[in-house]
Amino acid sequence: MSVVGASWQRMSLTGRILAIAVPILVAVAVLGLLGVVLAGPIVAAFLGDNVPLVRFAAAVGGILVLTIPTAFIVIYMELKVIARMNLRIGPDRVGPFGTAMSVVHGLKFVGKEDFTPTGVDVQVFTMAPVVVFLATVMTMVVIPFAPGLFGLDLNIGVLYLFAISGLTVVGLLMGGWASFNKYSLLGGLRAAAQMVSYEIPLTLSVVGVVLLAGTMSLNQIVLGQSGSFVDWYIWKQPLAFLIFFIAGTAEANRSPFDFSEADQEIVAGFATEYSGMRFGFFFFAEYVNVFVMSALIVTFFVGGWTAPIAWPWPVDLSAVDPLGLGVGLLLLIAIGPVVGTIVCAVPFWLASRFSTLQALVLGFVVFNVLAILAVMGWAFISFDWVVGLAWFFAKTYAFIFVFVWMRGSFPRVRIDQLMGLAWKWLLPAALLNIFVTASAVLILNR
Amino acid sequence: MTTDARTPNPHAALDDPSVLIEDVVRESIVEAVPIGRTERQAEFYTLRDGEMLLNMGPQHPSTHGVLRVVLKIDGERVVDIDPVIGYLHRGVEKLCENADYHQAICYTDPLEYVSSLFCEWAPVMAFEKLLDVEVPRRAEYIRVLSTELNRVASHALTMGWFALDLGGLTPVLYSFIERDEIMEMLTALTGQKLLFNYMRIGGVNGDLNHEFMSRLGDWMSRAARHIESNQGLLNENEILVRRARGLGILDPETALRMAVTGPNLRASGVPFDVRRAHPYSVFPELDFDIPTRQEGDCLARYLLRIDEIKQSLRIIDRCLHQLPDGPVMARLPRLVRPRPGRAFAAVEGPRGMYAAYVISDGTDQPFRMRIHDPSFVHLQLVGLMTPGNLVADTMAIMASLDPVMGGVDK
Repeated sequence: MSVVGASWQRMSLTGRILAIAVPILVAVAVLGLLGVVLAGPIVAAFLGDNVPLVRFAAAVGGILVLTIPTAFIVIYMELKVIARMNLRIGPDRVGPFGTAMSVVHGLKFVGKEDFTPTGVDVQVFTMAPVVVFLATVMTMVVIPFAPGLFGLDLNIGVLYLFAISGLTVVGLLMGGWASFNKYSLLGGLRAAAQMVSYEIPLTLSVVGVVLLAGTMSLNQIVLGQSGSFVDWYIWKQPLAFLIFFIAGTAEANRSPFDFSEADQEIVAGFATEYSGMRFGFFFFAEYVNVFVMSALIVTFFVGGWTAPIAWPWPVDLSAVDPLGLGVGLLLLIAIGPVVGTIVCAVPFWLASRFSTLQALVLGFVVFNVLAILAVMGWAFISFDWVVGLAWFFAKTYAFIFVFVWMRGSFPRVRIDQLMGLAWKWLLPAALLNIFVTASAVLILNR
Repeated sequence: MTTDARTPNPHAALDDPSVLIEDVVRESIVEAVPIGRTERQAEFYTLRDGEMLLNMGPQHPSTHGVLRVVLKIDGERVVDIDPVIGYLHRGVEKLCENADYHQAICYTDPLEYVSSLFCEWAPVMAFEKLLDVEVPRRAEYIRVLSTELNRVASHALTMGWFALDLGGLTPVLYSFIERDEIMEMLTALTGQKLLFNYMRIGGVNGDLNHEFMSRLGDWMSRAARHIESNQGLLNENEILVRRARGLGILDPETALRMAVTGPNLRASGVPFDVRRAHPYSVFPELDFDIPTRQEGDCLARYLLRIDEIKQSLRIIDRCLHQLPDGPVMARLPRLVRPRPGRAFAAVEGPRGMYAAYVISDGTDQPFRMRIHDPSFVHLQLVGLMTPGNLVADTMAIMASLDPVMGGVDK
């Protein structure tokens, strides 16, 4: 014992961490190997029998990872775009053009104290951000990002979507109720009233699209709009698009319908008592929700990942066979970058503001950028999912920009006006839309 | 942590595992409801079924400083309201009694910090009446010019805050364009930012200088167009107009009964303006209108401020045309000792009548100084106009009345 104690005393901090971690890792590895050897066949058979389950787990994992950069990009966009609209510069210190600002925001959340005030209902208080975040993230599972690139192709995709996104209300209500704070309670109740009201026109407006497409699968809805931009459902369902857009804004708690966190009235609404990463989950969920709403608008009405004009892509480049060059390919790989760097450096060198070394470094950077662009261009014209992804994100971020734009320019509407809008205007309009669409489908299909 | 046996730890119950935390919290809630000291308080703090007290302030994003408002709400609807003031009390009136007449000016300066030139003007005018000083005409014109600029700055900010309290993020930053320009102008003129301390007994601190005049000319050439385009952002906004129209209506009788002055009164249709009703300084020589509106709602109060900005621009223009030559300070001794007596002076500030009442006992210090602030008067209206509206409307009404807590608490 004394030997062990003496050794422990002499060890540095790194040594101590390693002395603890290495045995644990070895034990875990051994146990894992044993587990694979002993239980492997059974697990493999189970997984083989349940491919949808495996696919679901993989999709959820992938989507969870995807939410982080998505939220970062949307947050950065909001900071920068609203700053520009407010005659400010916005974040410009951390990273190029301040792009790392939202990452710093995320790290700040992790670093803050995870505070639980006295009097809260601890279990509910803890679970609320998780429910909100997961309900938001799970909706992303069925969104088709590109041909062949989606979490799950459920044949009841639309139904799943609204069922899961409806769970957000539960989370907000939990957070509002459990926080033991009047502002939170008001915020939670406002959020519940608003989202329950707007769920109805939101769902009903999509019924027209479902009638036209004849399916509830989001993939099939997108495929139904393939061709060019004239095939998009926005032209056949303009009223539904309008209703979906307005109700979606309310559903995502965005300005001008951001009552549940109206800071001039109820401080921060349901999130008042939350700090640290718990607030971070609410925050992330909000921005992921914006992304999801934009993606849904794009999927239902603006053609999803389909191109707005009939592109001749993907181009089959298999006729170009680099391997046919033989030794020439090797020479090209060896000489290409050097020659490219020098060629790109020449303009900088001729500009004579730079020394030879600086010109070479700049040339190298420029050459790399050009090479990356060339590779991306090659991928873009060769793979249809890259094309689809590019169109999908272009359209989605265009709508996110519109959401941010609205936040930058609109005051908030009042709660009675908001409810009146939902029940007196959007709901009858959505019903009318269903009626007209169903009649048209009946008459034209006969 | 060591616990001293003689001083019991107030949080001991929280540390005791045998005591349920819910019980402690419940007890603390019961204790936290204040027992009414007056009849009004007793009535206010007695909750009927379904009612809830919501405390807003003194630290709240929309209370314009350190105002505390206790709302009694039934769901989203406000049943009753109790504004609590005094969080910014500095005892300015008492401080002024212990300073000589020149020093008192810089104490009144930070009262209404959004439009501090008016806070100087009223006491200075009262002191001049006590001392019977003839102010040079050029000084009077400079006073009018600088205060009208300050009025524009104040109104621009008010309109921005109004939009911010209704949930719009952008307009407040647009309104800061004008305010920043004017603040830099006045900084060039007075040498100080925000709290100018420019007025003196018998004149002003300094003559117009080149930087001020060049900035002013630059700004005047585009001010009207600029303000117009900025306000287009709000006036043509359906959401804002729908929220503000018909909200918080103040009828002329109530307004007069509650001693409301300024834009809030004129928005109810009463064309009372101290500049015309009780003319002071060189306002009789200047050509301008008193804009009024009949509706008396939040939108009218907001739009009236835009009209007033236009009239202020007109006054500034007239001032620049009619500006006479001459000194900017009357000849006065360093230490002034007015005869015993009393004097009252009122000016039309951006929020209403701003007045000072001074009693002199013949020494070099005022015996008593009383300052009338319009924000204090207008704050009473919140309790009158808010009940029956929604929580969100409380903010809109408060913002449209535009109280500045520095002036309310003195």
